[in-house]
Amino acid sequence: MLDKNAVQDIILQGLKNINDERGPDEQIQIDLDTRLFGTDAVLDSLSLVSVIVDVESAVSEASGRDISLTDDRAMSQTVSPFSDVSTLTDYIVLLLSEAP
Amino acid sequence: MMPAPSAYEGKFALVTGSRRGIGRLIAEHLLEHGAHVAGFARGEATIEHVNYTHFQVDVSDAVSVQKGFASLKKVSDTVHIVVNNAAVLTSQYAMIMSPAAALAMINTNLFGTFMVSREASKMMRKAKWGRIINIGSMAASLEPIGDSVYAACKAGVSTLANVMARELAPLNVTCNTLGVSGIKTDMLDQLPEDKIAAVIASLPLPRFAEPDDILNVIDFFASERSAYITAQTVFLGGVN
Repeated sequence: MLDKNAVQDIILQGLKNINDERGPDEQIQIDLDTRLFGTDAVLDSLSLVSVIVDVESAVSEASGRDISLTDDRAMSQTVSPFSDVSTLTDYIVLLLSEAP
Repeated sequence: MMPAPSAYEGKFALVTGSRRGIGRLIAEHLLEHGAHVAGFARGEATIEHVNYTHFQVDVSDAVSVQKGFASLKKVSDTVHIVVNNAAVLTSQYAMIMSPAAALAMINTNLFGTFMVSREASKMMRKAKWGRIINIGSMAASLEPIGDSVYAACKAGVSTLANVMARELAPLNVTCNTLGVSGIKTDMLDQLPEDKIAAVIASLPLPRFAEPDDILNVIDFFASERSAYITAQTVFLGGVN
């Protein structure tokens, strides 16, 4: 099973992929506090979708488990999984800890 | 003018409903002009070609589509061209249309198109290039008696393409719809001959579509030069 660090690396890689597609002046700062969604988010909507697609796919490949980050459950969490990298990491670890 | 034999060289295309009719016609055309083609259909392959890979997928079933794409990714890491052709038709007065038949049309014709476009666009995203072509129908415009659900689904695939065109434009992916008129296929054979004849006679160009009428528009939408053509529905035969 993927541990927390591995999940974190996958998310950070998803954000690096976004930076790879951007010019030098448009780079986003990437760390555990990077805001993914909300008023102070650093990602536009399509970039967030791209990160979600990359993360879902990489987690599925690495764990052999399909996860959905955009279903009703994700959207109804008290703290949005997309608040920042840490909250998204915690949410994915939670999903992976549950029985398939 | 026919495209060059190598017009689709280096391109990987996915055609749904590739076993027969328009889907098979398009798949064979793409193969003939150099593409690698994956086919999604419920039944077994009817195309034998070194560059054709068949996947038994029921596009009306989300899980089946996702499994199909998981298998497809083992063959290719990208899809350049998608032709959403798979469709079913039951023509009947709404009052006596069975709910099961209505739902089958919605699930295959509309939801299936959505699911395949959804999964394919994830793959196109990385290549930053893609062409999604939905096969629509003159029924969406002519709204013939008996085709309430079918026509609604076909109108729906145009709208689906138009919205996805906006979403995918930054990724250099275009989404368009080909509104086919009557072409002699198994699907059309299900309808009464007199009804079809009356519809065809009412068209500005009152004849059945020929295969090349369809392939011409497919080539147009799929070409490199059509990067600025998106969210468009092209009807055949003068339907508008």
